[in-house]
Amino acid sequence: MPKLGSQEPIYIAVATGLEALKTNTQGSSAGPLVGTRSSARGADGLVKESGMTRRDFFRAAAAAAAGAAVSEMALASTPQKKKHHWIMAIDLKRCVGCRACVAACKAENQTPPGVNYNVVMDIPHLGSSDDKPYFLTRPCMQCKSSSCTLVCPTGATYHREQDNIVVIDYDRCIGCRYCIAACPYGARQFDFGEDYETAEETPGAVTSPEYREYRTRKKGKSPIGNVRKCTFCVHLQDENGEYDQAQGRWPACAKTCTGHAIHFGDFMNPEDPIHALLESRGHFRLKEELGNEPSVYYLW
Amino acid sequence: MDRRDFLKKAATAAVGLAAGAVIPFRSARAKGPYPNDELDRRFGRKAGAWVPSCCNMCGGQCGIMAHVVEGRVVKIEPNQWNPNNFSNVSDDFFGHLDPKNGLNGEARICPKGNSGIMALYDPDRLKKPLRRTNPEKGIGVDPKWKEISWEEAIGEIADRLKALRNKGQAHKTVWISEDHSFTHIQADFMNLYGSPNYYMHSNLCDTARKASFKMVVGHDRPLCDFMHTKYILLFGWNPTSALKWIHLGRIIPKAIEQGAKMVVVDPYLSDTAAKGHEWVSIRPGTDGAMALAMAHVIVKERLYDEKFIQEWTYGFEELKDYVSKKTPAWAEKVTSVPAKTIERIAREVATTKPALIDVWSGPGQHTNGVQGGRAIAALNTLIGAWDAPGGMLIPNNKGNKHVEVHPDETATKTLAEPYLDGHDKLPFGHKSGNYTEFFRRIAKGEKPYPCEFLMVIFQNPMMAVPGTKAVEEAFQKIPFTVVVDTMPSETVQMADIALPGSVYLERYDLNTHWVTWPVLALRQPVVKPLFGQPTEYEFVALLGRKLNIKDTEGKPFFWMGRESGKRVENVTKWYEEFLSGEIKEGEPKMTLGELKKLSGAVWVSPKGTEYRKYAKPLKPEDLAKAVTEDGSPYRPDVPAGTGLYDKPKKDKGKRIGTMWKSPEGKVIVVKGFDTPSGLCEFYQPKLADKKDFRGRPVDPYPAYAPRDEQPSAEFPLYLINWKEAAHTHTRTWNNQWLRDLRSEAPLMIHPETAKKHGVGEGDEVLVESARGSIRMKAHLTRRIHAEVVGAQHGAGHWALGRFASASGKGQHPGFLNEMRFDPLSGQACHKEICVKIRKA
Repeated sequence: MPKLGSQEPIYIAVATGLEALKTNTQGSSAGPLVGTRSSARGADGLVKESGMTRRDFFRAAAAAAAGAAVSEMALASTPQKKKHHWIMAIDLKRCVGCRACVAACKAENQTPPGVNYNVVMDIPHLGSSDDKPYFLTRPCMQCKSSSCTLVCPTGATYHREQDNIVVIDYDRCIGCRYCIAACPYGARQFDFGEDYETAEETPGAVTSPEYREYRTRKKGKSPIGNVRKCTFCVHLQDENGEYDQAQGRWPACAKTCTGHAIHFGDFMNPEDPIHALLESRGHFRLKEELGNEPSVYYLW
Repeated sequence: MDRRDFLKKAATAAVGLAAGAVIPFRSARAKGPYPNDELDRRFGRKAGAWVPSCCNMCGGQCGIMAHVVEGRVVKIEPNQWNPNNFSNVSDDFFGHLDPKNGLNGEARICPKGNSGIMALYDPDRLKKPLRRTNPEKGIGVDPKWKEISWEEAIGEIADRLKALRNKGQAHKTVWISEDHSFTHIQADFMNLYGSPNYYMHSNLCDTARKASFKMVVGHDRPLCDFMHTKYILLFGWNPTSALKWIHLGRIIPKAIEQGAKMVVVDPYLSDTAAKGHEWVSIRPGTDGAMALAMAHVIVKERLYDEKFIQEWTYGFEELKDYVSKKTPAWAEKVTSVPAKTIERIAREVATTKPALIDVWSGPGQHTNGVQGGRAIAALNTLIGAWDAPGGMLIPNNKGNKHVEVHPDETATKTLAEPYLDGHDKLPFGHKSGNYTEFFRRIAKGEKPYPCEFLMVIFQNPMMAVPGTKAVEEAFQKIPFTVVVDTMPSETVQMADIALPGSVYLERYDLNTHWVTWPVLALRQPVVKPLFGQPTEYEFVALLGRKLNIKDTEGKPFFWMGRESGKRVENVTKWYEEFLSGEIKEGEPKMTLGELKKLSGAVWVSPKGTEYRKYAKPLKPEDLAKAVTEDGSPYRPDVPAGTGLYDKPKKDKGKRIGTMWKSPEGKVIVVKGFDTPSGLCEFYQPKLADKKDFRGRPVDPYPAYAPRDEQPSAEFPLYLINWKEAAHTHTRTWNNQWLRDLRSEAPLMIHPETAKKHGVGEGDEVLVESARGSIRMKAHLTRRIHAEVVGAQHGAGHWALGRFASASGKGQHPGFLNEMRFDPLSGQACHKEICVKIRKA
């Protein structure tokens, strides 16, 4: 059972480059390239003799390559806000497989055809004689130790230090799709620029509230040609980085979930009911063995 | 570091450096994303308006909040004040209700509800009235549409209707519509115009269930109290996926979480069965036999609720006798369910308290559906589940009131003509009629008279009535058809005039809800009709005005404001008064304006769910005006079993009470059940006097008889269909978001069956019945009974829109069916088809 703090980041500097980087980003609100590791991961067998894991190595390499971006971030530092770690706990016993979460996500983020930030999989129970499925909805895992951010050559995708959410700077994303290949959860998709068709009489334009940027889709303009992903509907946070379920400022999938299967909460807040939920139920994370430290838990 | 790692690293670094050259472009700027406060004010959650309304992506009518920004609906979210979005019992609803924020974000909507925007802005919507110029009609025949004006369209329709009425043939006008939207004004129109032939969707859906329950408890829409139950037994119902009412997705998993066991009996391991503890795989249309065998076990082992049976039931001894031979071994042969399983489930459901048993359209849409459903309903009687916490509740669904209209002399004459669909000849027919028989009679040119004019509003009989080819024939024989729809459906292709309808976000309605206590919610226009078209009710009113329809007092009904009593020019305002009158005379007793101002525009009766209403004494004021069936006033010495009515039965009196003999032997007046005996009936001898549609006496017992069509050597497989969350019937398949969730409906085949017929995963399969053949894509799964193949229904469009007809064009199982309905209720039999399959 996770206890508050037990899986919180322990920053381990393992290479000189990384050490330097950490110093550079002290005090920054962004600090995206600093990977995090948990105490739990130390025992996963991935740590090599040198004390540097494969992942750490990539992190260092990527950081070195994107050095320019790092120094820029230091310039962009903003006053430190209260920290959060937003997580989801998805109850597999409750999920009815209706896919309202998929539709609601489309509606909230105005994603184009072929881009779905979350998917629901029908997975037959192992060893069942009748292929009885369970349903598993898969948003972005918002990994604490994410593969996508490591391989991004431009630093366009990174962790927000204040709440662990992985975001994409569409203006910086060059659409190389390394992150799509790197993500072990298939949570990223490329925006090929397709559009849904609407009646000519439809008033106004589609603006996506994503990142509160309200971009209008135009040929050759971001996010067309970018990689896209779930952000836990980060645009619904208030200025303090808080969500509010009663006011509808809550991730779209959780807000519509007909089975009330998607729970959402702040892991950093000891008062958050999500702790009691995790303590009371058996749970797992997908591909735990990869050490990505996903922020999405599945209750079963 | 291995070679792979090295290469990856090298690539990363290389691209990184290359990209580094690009970065300085942004170097003076902080790293994005870049929130834009100005655009946030213009487009964000605080911009524009959030309008409370009700969904109509299906007939479930859940509450929504529509976010409108700069004239465009940009998001639809759950309405936090509507119980339909949360629970069907009041303790659960009120227990979570916060006076400030309603349900605090706990109300939900389904995938269809989330995708309403794509229905509103669908590029293939009908925009202008269209006139057919090609006299030839048929599947795949181009109507050669010509755009016409609304004036011209309404003028021509009115002229034709007027000509019929002037000839004394108003009854030859038939009008069919969806059953949850603006039905009252359509019924009023037909009444005042003078045709008895106004029918609605229900007979395609669940009139078999309605009849089953009506026979047992006198109420046709009992609802499950999942929140308080410990055992759920469902026959052929897929509630967590069919999701008509959003609360189902919550309260069923919640019941299981609270310790209830759920068993689902179905030929297909539905998504609901996937949530249950046990799937009982059964042959289609044999559910009634399993229920009788369960009754056999419960009776034999005396597991029934003895007290309830003594006090509140009729015909127990007869049932006991009847089921004595309906052994689990007998049922095993009929159903393919092992006798041991039947025995065990019978014991579980009778000894776990409280328990509930429900049945919907799976077993219902067969020719033996009503009696099968009746046997299942009777299990609830055996275990005393009626209107008990955790059992099957008899809802109080009072809401708005349909104010009676009084037709003039001309109309009265033609209203007395026989129904063209013959639904009055069905012993358990429903006011929604019998589409199947109507189209059959027209196709065959049978009595009582031809249909000269057909009005179709928001219905797609070409795909929804069994026997597509025969329905096509009927349309070819009807001289003039008008279809009002939002989409160019398969039925629109058969129209002489097609009119653009309104999406629910463009119009009004009143919705009583699928919860157990009175709730009335408003649907209101969120945006103006996109193409400036009149909504359906405005079209009806305009037609009524053009025809100068008057009631018996000579008042021009479609001009007179119901509230003001004055002539109202604006047709929308006129309809607002029409609705206001219904709310005022109904349960909420308020005006439309007042309803609009309520939080979420929903009125919720504070009374809440009441249990065991049947045992409640009549209110003194009701007792004072109570009469017996023949109209003689109530006296305390009327014998036990006598029914009491609010007015004589011949004046459409409703049963309001029953003289009931208490266990102490005293005869008192209670509400009772609305059955001939006032009790729950296992058996009813009077039924033998009634004849089914084919002239056979109705069985007084909930008897099992095999359905008409059975597998044969040539057509060895059962073909069934079901409903899933992403689509509603045939109507949502052009919705681009919903197509992203599910764009086709493959044929589910058991791997053993597939092997036998030489079919592999993903193969195109030729599916043939005695009536026709279609091609479907095979999906192999052990989720289906080995003697059965099946698919989600509603796919296989050849019209409706560019996306709907893009996959599986015209491959619709209706082509395999014949015009078949259940002879007791008129229920369309969509699931009674036998087929053979082979690789195409």
